[in-house]
Amino acid sequence: MAALDLNAIRAVVEGRLATELAIAPVIPVVFHNMAYTPTPGSTWAQCSVSFGANNYMTMGSTAGASNSVIGVIVVNIFSAKGVGPGANLTVGKRVRDLYNRIVVSGVRFDPPTGPEVVATPSPEGYFQTQVRMTFETFEDL
Amino acid sequence: MAFYRGEQGSVKFDDAGSANTTIASTRAWSMTIEKDVLETTVLGATYKANIGGLVAGSGSVELIYSASSADETNAFIKAANTVTDQGAATFELFLDTTGTKKISFAGLITSADYSATVGELEVITCNFVTTGTITTSI
Repeated sequence: MAALDLNAIRAVVEGRLATELAIAPVIPVVFHNMAYTPTPGSTWAQCSVSFGANNYMTMGSTAGASNSVIGVIVVNIFSAKGVGPGANLTVGKRVRDLYNRIVVSGVRFDPPTGPEVVATPSPEGYFQTQVRMTFETFEDL
Repeated sequence: MAFYRGEQGSVKFDDAGSANTTIASTRAWSMTIEKDVLETTVLGATYKANIGGLVAGSGSVELIYSASSADETNAFIKAANTVTDQGAATFELFLDTTGTKKISFAGLITSADYSATVGELEVITCNFVTTGTITTSI
């Protein structure tokens, strides 16, 4: 029983995506706080993991008690502009299937939202969709 | 002034009534102590008079199902489904983590509500009544 290792959770989340997108057709993926210069017209993904609400689950103090820790994964998928959404949604399905109601190393992923089309892509010059998943893990003190 | 929060509480239980152990994943408990009231108003009185009668308690404990079996938790959640119950089980309901502020009594679990809802934690609520003395060390 110990406090959560946030980087271990991040590694679970990011590791699954990196492994999946390294399978052909390979899609470059960039994570939080990393520099990346995309090739114009290419397909690539951007993943960010954020931790949010922490809640009491059970009675107890710093030992023998449990907390709930909620987080969210946001995956932005960029693909070539002006050629339809097909290629983008193919990547979106890969991302969605990767987390949909799956429990890995104690991290429970909820059903994903998206891929939703982003009206104003950032960076510009791409067709962008976004897949979002909340996740929950339990901290046993 | 000292105030207390719910997470400082806990519940201990032993179905055999010998050595209470903590019930795992307890989320809430509540207890009501009630006293019978016997009216002693006499003829001609302007105001009613009452005296206290028998005292009894009842309440509930809500816990998150964790399949815990290494302690009394499993016995606790199954206690309602026992065919003979002499009320020998002992309970301690704690109000703080120091373990000195508590309500203790013998009693029996009269019902258990088990529930599972998609997207939510599985929760079990056990209801109890007291038998015999209730000690309020609070």
